[in-house]
Formats: sequence, C-alpha cells, structure tokens
Amino acid sequence: MTDATLSTTTIAPRADAAEPSVSPWKRALLYALLVAVSFLMLYPLLWMVASSFKPDSEIFTSTGLIPAEPTVDAYRRGWGGLSVSFGWMFFNSLVISLLVVVGNLFSCSMAAYAFTRLRFKGRSFWFTLMLGTLMMPQHAVLIPQYVLFLKLGWVNSILPLVVPKFLAIDAFFIFLMVQFFRGIPRELDEAAIMDGCGPLRIFLKVILPLSTPVLATAAVFSFIWTWDDFFAPLIYLNDIEKYTAQLGLRTFVDSTGTSDWGSLFAMSTLTVLPIFILFILFQRLLIEGIATTGMKR
Amino acid sequence: MSTLGTTERPAAGGRFKFGDSLAGYGFLAPWLVGFFLLTLGPAIASFYLSLTDYSGLGAANWVGAENYVRIATDDPRFWTAMNVTFTFVLLSVPLKLIFALAVAVALNRGLEGLSFFRAIFYLPSLVGGSVAVAVLWRQVFAGDGLLNQALNMLFGFEGPSWISNPSTSLYTLVLLAVWQFGSSMIIFLAGLRQIPQDMYEAASIDGAGKARQFFKITLPLLTPVIFFNAVILTIDAFKAFTSAFVISDGTGGPIDSTLFYTLYLYQEAFTNFRFGYASALAWVLVLIIAFFTAMSFLTARYWVHYDD
Repeated sequence: MTDATLSTTTIAPRADAAEPSVSPWKRALLYALLVAVSFLMLYPLLWMVASSFKPDSEIFTSTGLIPAEPTVDAYRRGWGGLSVSFGWMFFNSLVISLLVVVGNLFSCSMAAYAFTRLRFKGRSFWFTLMLGTLMMPQHAVLIPQYVLFLKLGWVNSILPLVVPKFLAIDAFFIFLMVQFFRGIPRELDEAAIMDGCGPLRIFLKVILPLSTPVLATAAVFSFIWTWDDFFAPLIYLNDIEKYTAQLGLRTFVDSTGTSDWGSLFAMSTLTVLPIFILFILFQRLLIEGIATTGMKR
Repeated sequence: MSTLGTTERPAAGGRFKFGDSLAGYGFLAPWLVGFFLLTLGPAIASFYLSLTDYSGLGAANWVGAENYVRIATDDPRFWTAMNVTFTFVLLSVPLKLIFALAVAVALNRGLEGLSFFRAIFYLPSLVGGSVAVAVLWRQVFAGDGLLNQALNMLFGFEGPSWISNPSTSLYTLVLLAVWQFGSSMIIFLAGLRQIPQDMYEAASIDGAGKARQFFKITLPLLTPVIFFNAVILTIDAFKAFTSAFVISDGTGGPIDSTLFYTLYLYQEAFTNFRFGYASALAWVLVLIIAFFTAMSFLTARYWVHYDD
C-alpha cells in the first residue's frame, strides 16, 4: 500500500520490495542459484582457512572443509618460518595502517572543509585540480617520488608510506568528504559564526562531530587498503625487520616454495583475518561507501 | 563537476576578505604541499626523466625521444606486456560487468536475505587484491591443486598445472579478477534502486514481459551506472599488479605469459634500474588509460542514457 503510493513519486523506496510478482517457483530456483554461486565464491577462502588446520598430507588428499585431524602445527611452523617472526611484521603493518588512517582523516578532512565551507580566491581552481588528481594514475609520479624519498634518505623506512597521507595524497577521500560536508546545513556554520566561532572552531565543533559516518568510512577503507597494500611496501621496505605482513607472506612463498602449503595457508589466513574482522564489524559502512561513491575494489 | 555548485555563495559584498583567504589556504595547506611535492612536481620530473637515461645513480643524460622510439620499435617485451594486459582487460572487464549485473538483478527481485548475499558476494572484492589470495590462487590452479583434485574426484579427469602452463596461466588471473565482481555488483544494486517502480507497473499493464522490461527499462536506465563501472574497472584492470607478481614470483612467467604492463614497468624500474626508460613506459601507460577514458566519454553520448 505504502509502496503503491510512494511509487507515484519518482524513486522507489526500497529495492527489497521491487518486483514482488516473482512466482514461488522462480523464487526457489533463484535462491538455489544464489546459494550455489555463494558457495562457489566462498569455497576457495573457506578451503584455505580449513587447510591451515590440516596436516600437510591431508591438504593434498581432501577437498573437504572439515579437517580430519585438526592441528595448529602449521601456525606454529609458519609464525617462526622466517628470520623475523610474523608477529613483528603484523606489528609493522598495524603501525603503518593506523598512521595512514590518522593521516588521511586529518589532512583530507581539512582539505574538504576548505573546499566546501571556506571562501577564498582560487578555491574553484584548486578544487578542479584536486579532481584532476583523482584520475591520475600513480605510475606517472611513481619514479620521481621514489627518487625524492631516496634522496631524503627515507627509503627503507615507513616514512614514504605514511608521510604522504598527512599531505592529503589520497584525493579520493577528500572527494568523499566533500560530498558529505555539502550535506551539512550551512545554517549551522552561520549560527556558530554568530556565536563568535572562527573557522577552526566551526571545523572542530560543528563539522567534524556531524561527520562521524564519513570519517568512519574513510578510516575503515584507509586501514584495509593500507593493510592489503603490496606495491608500496615492496618498493620502499628492504630489510626484513621492516617488512609488513604482506611482504612477509610473499617472502614466505619464496623461501618455502610449494613445499609447506599448510603454514603458507596458516599465515595467509592470519593476514586476511583483520580484514575479515573489519568486514564483519563494518559491513554496512563498507557497502554503503561502495554504493554511494563507486569506490574501486 | 568542476565547480562547487550549490554551496557556492557570494561573500558579503562580493569581495573576499583577507582573513577568509588565510583560513582557506591554512586548511588547504597540507593538500597544497602534497600536490606540489608529490603530484605536480613528480609528474613534471617523470616526463623529464622519460627523456633521459637516468639509472638512479649519477647524472640523467638527455636522450630525447630515444626511450619512446625504443618502446615502439625495439622492445619485444613491451609488446608482450601490451598483449597480456589488453587480453586481460578485454576479457576480465566485460565478464565482471555481466556477472555483477546478472547477480544484482537477481538480488533485486525482493528476495529475503538480500544483505546476506550482498555481503558474501562482496567479500572476495575486499580480500581479492591481497597476497594471501594470490597465494591461494597459486595453489588452487597448481597441478595438484584444489581445482584438479575436484576435477579428478568428480570426473576422473587429470588436469594440467594451469598456473605453470603459458597457454592457461593468464586465464587463471582473469578468473581471479572476475571472482571479485562484488563491488561493481553493489554499485549496480544502488543503480537499480533508483529506477522508478511505476515504469515497470506501466510496462506490465501494457503487456511487456520480464525480458522486454529488462531490455527496454532496466538496461537503458542503468547505462550511466554501466558506463561508470566499465570505466573504473578498465582503469583498474590496466593497473593490475599484485596477483601476477605473487603468482609468477615477480617474473611475469611462465615465458612472460602473465607479464602485466605494471609488472614490466616495475621490473624495468626496480630490478634493472632503468628509471628513464621506466618513466617513458609509465607515460605510455598514462596515455593509454587517458585514451581509453576519453574514448569512453566520447562514445558515451551514443549509448548512455541520462534522465534529463
């Protein structure tokens, strides 16, 4: 009833209510198909996790998910499988990812605030340039950036991975925040100005507190993308003590070849575990972030 | 896009005050520093380097267009990389779009558990770029890997090692990319939500069947989203790196069958330390991506339907 009345306006309220005329038959078929596809999609991941609890002999003889003789031996072997323990690499990854989150939130929110709320000469010009950088592939700047960090003596440290994030290099997050800040009523700023607030206080006391959804989205994506990043650590980190978990895992592949799949899967499972956890905790946020902005990945 | 639209308001008296500019540039300062130091400066430097023989050490000697000439006429691996990359893009992007759209349309039929399925289909997109999944893929398509175990169990079929066979290795990477159709699917779902339901009602009163409704309503109204997804996926596919790097141990093998363009670029820059040549390769990639993006926008007016 409400659907019928609402649908005379332009936008359907809920996709869940779309096309209610599907027959029960087709519905059942559709469900069966979706369940089958879900299963196929998830199977490799589930199998990886399951295999990490199997003795090596079992990995190659069973495609099943339940280990016959569950063991955490692979985790023990994998954890100490390199000259530096995986724990240390996880710590490195965690430090880098958290610093990137802080950097992105700090610098991108400032830029977005300037673009949406402050009036100054050249604002549109800089905004257009910022949008231009969104489309620019990183490869165009990769080598000079590397040379710059090399000359600064930053290569083989976390600085090249973290410092650029404090300079709002991820224009994508600026754009995301600009979209959100635009939705905050300007009357609030004006009221704050009446109360004698300057730009900084408006930013800190009005805009940021109202922006927790977009800040959370940016934080979660920043963390996941940085945690998963392979290319930048590969280029910038040389010593194994400085490796991130992703680099460690890759080194592990090389050093064990294909001989120790069990511990390889155990460490693989550990590196995706933080992402699984964030996914479960912030699923709605991630999905809405993708849906509204069309983020990649 | 390039202006600030509705938030733009003339300042009182139409003049900018000094204090306003100070605050504006103050808040913009981190971005400005980043823009000049990490984007604009390096972009100019990269173009300059592409005209030199810079190796990272010593001086950068001017060689003019030599690098570009060599790319075009005297570098078989460049053409191999182009071939691999284009095959990858042309296979993975359409397949991903089709899967993403098909699943989105199926999910949009008022099913229970929409959010459950949505989450499950999205998960591979989220973890798919990681080293762990590349490692997993290496095992799944190995000679004694999961796929062959399953084939053997179900059909008694002894499969080859898909990963180490140059005629199949690239397709395992295509499959890995298609497996990550979830984020495009979510964008399609959001697009489907925007289609007015009364159009379907009107069409079904006029006697249009489901298939007709799909081709006459859903698809045309969804073209802006299809276009958006296609452009994003294409750019991403050109930049694919991690999976090929991990699966081939950084070589792009077997016999260069997975030598993605970015992998070749990485080898030239950070294995062979040909920074000048790699810069030229980078600019060729930028031009290719720019060309494709421009072409998409130019052809878009013939098939993308905007509702205005």
